[in-house]
Amino acid sequence: MLKLKGIEEVYYPQTIKETVDILRSHGDLAEVVGGGLDISVFPNPRIKFLIFLDNLNLSYVKDSSEGIKIGAMTTITNLIESDLIKDYMGGCVHSVLPEIATELLRNQITVGGSLGKREPYSDIVTLLYGLNGKIVLSDGEWDEIVSINDFYKENFKRLLKERIIKEVILEKYPKDYFFSMKRYVRNATDIALFNMATLLKTEGKMITSARVAAGSRPKPAYLMQGAGEFLKGRELSEDLAEEFGKFVEEHIEVGTDTRTTEEYRKNLSHIYAKRILLEALEAAK
Amino acid sequence: MKVKYIINGKEEEYEIHPGEVLLDVLRRNGHSEIKGNCYLGTCGACTVLIDGEPHTSCTILAAKVNGKHITTIKGIGDLNNPHPLQKAFVDVGAVQCGFCTPGTILSAYALLKKNPNPTDEDIKKALDGNLCRCTGYVQQVEAVKFAVKLLKEGKDE
Ligand code: FES
Ligand code: FES
Repeated sequence: MLKLKGIEEVYYPQTIKETVDILRSHGDLAEVVGGGLDISVFPNPRIKFLIFLDNLNLSYVKDSSEGIKIGAMTTITNLIESDLIKDYMGGCVHSVLPEIATELLRNQITVGGSLGKREPYSDIVTLLYGLNGKIVLSDGEWDEIVSINDFYKENFKRLLKERIIKEVILEKYPKDYFFSMKRYVRNATDIALFNMATLLKTEGKMITSARVAAGSRPKPAYLMQGAGEFLKGRELSEDLAEEFGKFVEEHIEVGTDTRTTEEYRKNLSHIYAKRILLEALEAAK
Repeated sequence: MKVKYIINGKEEEYEIHPGEVLLDVLRRNGHSEIKGNCYLGTCGACTVLIDGEPHTSCTILAAKVNGKHITTIKGIGDLNNPHPLQKAFVDVGAVQCGFCTPGTILSAYALLKKNPNPTDEDIKKALDGNLCRCTGYVQQVEAVKFAVKLLKEGKDE
């Protein structure tokens, strides 16, 4: 079964600059390939040129003064095996990763590919939204660091015709931050029907700032602005957890697709929002 | 375009279309021991090891892995000299139609290379992308555990 009939040529650039030159010369007819899962499962018949990033040495997880740097070609398996990720946010990020997809696909899905495609069901995009990941875009001469919010506010697909995602930087949050991610699946290897990631900064039980991201809605992941504002300045308690669950259920933007209904996703959002706050309360004790 | 792979230790050169997936290239060139089914990365029948790591060859572009080492089920043992995993799958009754078996054994093989003493949970996690329509999974987990025992004993009897 020839999946990508239109492909005329493939490239194996050695540098980011070379990659971007090829991209620019072919415009909309070229596509950069991360792990290559998306392009092989959802082939785009318009694409004629593929650019493989495998020779750019972009598979790494390393510590730096700016935060933890994750190369664009790093797979989910690489993240799971990284000691830095094992310890990051008290292990809360590490515990989510083995639940995503299957071992075979975790070996193929890359961080850069997930961000560059922003598929609606991506758990990686929700995770990085929740963690307020910074995306490093590069044309080989200049690196630009943008927040994940700004990246998706722009026409990111257009941006990626001029630059590539080089890496992601995760801030090393101090101990007064709490992170949790939830995803709902019908069976162990299913695509999430809904996912939610929350980052809270607390002083004792007081929430001083909050980020709430949700995905698989079935639209792509987004940052639920109102939810962060709702939590700011509130004190963690069981009552607040219930109140927050109701708030999220009422305000979250979810829809219906063939896999589940808007109502079901709203119910899930209520349960997860509440559960996350109860976990944060427990952690604050 | 031309690609080269080291398949089961032997260098092979193939003429491919640049948009083909690895599964099609390998099967067309005689590697029918690799099965194909969903072409979506969901069943695991097409599993091969690429530089030792299990992948669904139906979602890997053949051109992307140009130059890599590829291992199919034939690369780890054969009828006369089966790998302990192959022997264990037969002995424990973890094979029925056999369609999923090459992929499942290769995923288990990669697991045991990384982790020679896996827990049941580790085994289930490693095989989570290899679906079986016949045998079910209890015997497969048992087979991997039996293979661990055989490997430790250093023999396949
Ligand atoms: S044929 Fe490749 S995963 Fe099903
Ligand atoms: S033995 Fe038939 S699919 Fe597994």
